[in-house]
Amino acid sequence: MSNINGKVYAMNAVTPMKPWKTWILRTIFFVLGHVKPLQTDLINLSFIEFARWVVVPRSSFPFLGNGQAKEDLRYDYLLFFSNFNGTWNQYIDAFSAVLSKGLNLIWRWSEKFPGSVPVTIFKEYIARVQFDTDYYYTAYPNATANDVKSAHIVQSSLDSLGLAAAACTPEQFAGAYLRFVLQVHAHLGQTGEAPIAG
Amino acid sequence: MPNKNGSVYGLTILSPIIDDDKASPSHDLQIRDYLAHLSTREDSPFAQAPGTHLARLVVMDDVIYVGAPSCEEHLKSKYLIFESNCDGDLDTYLSGLASAIPDHLDAVWKHCVGYPGAANDQAFIDYMKACQLETTFYFAAVNDKTVSETLRALQTQAAVADFIATHQCVDASTLQREFIELVASLQAKPLPLPGSMGPQRDIKTGGRNE
Repeated sequence: MSNINGKVYAMNAVTPMKPWKTWILRTIFFVLGHVKPLQTDLINLSFIEFARWVVVPRSSFPFLGNGQAKEDLRYDYLLFFSNFNGTWNQYIDAFSAVLSKGLNLIWRWSEKFPGSVPVTIFKEYIARVQFDTDYYYTAYPNATANDVKSAHIVQSSLDSLGLAAAACTPEQFAGAYLRFVLQVHAHLGQTGEAPIAG
Repeated sequence: MPNKNGSVYGLTILSPIIDDDKASPSHDLQIRDYLAHLSTREDSPFAQAPGTHLARLVVMDDVIYVGAPSCEEHLKSKYLIFESNCDGDLDTYLSGLASAIPDHLDAVWKHCVGYPGAANDQAFIDYMKACQLETTFYFAAVNDKTVSETLRALQTQAAVADFIATHQCVDASTLQREFIELVASLQAKPLPLPGSMGPQRDIKTGGRNE
């Protein structure tokens, strides 16, 4: 079991919902997906690499025959998978502090959801509905989401200057190089092993 | 389409695990045991197959009872969850897995109901799609770059930081020449192996309270 690989933590959570409520949640996600400004807080939580919510209707758990018993459930289920940088406590604290309204909007349809504030009760709930990861892989274990974003900015700037460099005089190049350094200087953080969380 | 965000695909698969009283250890335990011994670094199966940014495998034993007054209920099957954030379209990705790491796939999914094996490409793809769940909402912080592009960018980032640090107060013509050499060397340099960008650690840490 390992919820952590390098600088990324894998969270899995599953919560039951009354079936009639899932349609409300689907509508909320539809709006969230199509009105980009509503995603601003999620984007600003820049330690999330990938996250997804999956609504599984009670009759839609995969059924393949071959002796498998068909599920007979009362609830639909909301699955949540997140890949984030930092520790579990930091993540839940940040979620609670920055996204409390958004979280409540998503999880208030789940049974017994206590609200994301106060955070103590919220953490108890998440701990109860979370289950552990058996295998976790990342292609770039020692880079955070911000490292990846920064690296692409550096790559893009380098490509631009690289194309122009040969055609410049040394003096022109020196000016262009200075502008390049100004563009990338805030994006040169060193990647490496994550600090040990206490 | 909710399964995609930009050019990144969010694949969610729930494969029912064989429920066999006579199996010892049980099939879910055999999956867990196999996964516990699988490398998560550059020799990971997902590093050998193309296109995986991040992926996880999870045995879901049951749904979770959150307490009264909600009703307690249980699943009749255990499920293997495969959650992947990958490049490109689904068929290409699944086909890439089947051709690159068939033995690993078979070793894990042979414990699942109706698994046809990875040798038959189309049957494997059809099986995975039969187990796939539609993502309701999918977020990707960087949604327009492939795994290779990201690995290259991270390599470039480190090289540029070193270059800038070692080229302060250098005259313009030397700076220009060595910058052009840097660009050429980065273009010729092989990509870092996926999953390889950190030191080996003997001890994996984990746990929800870390």
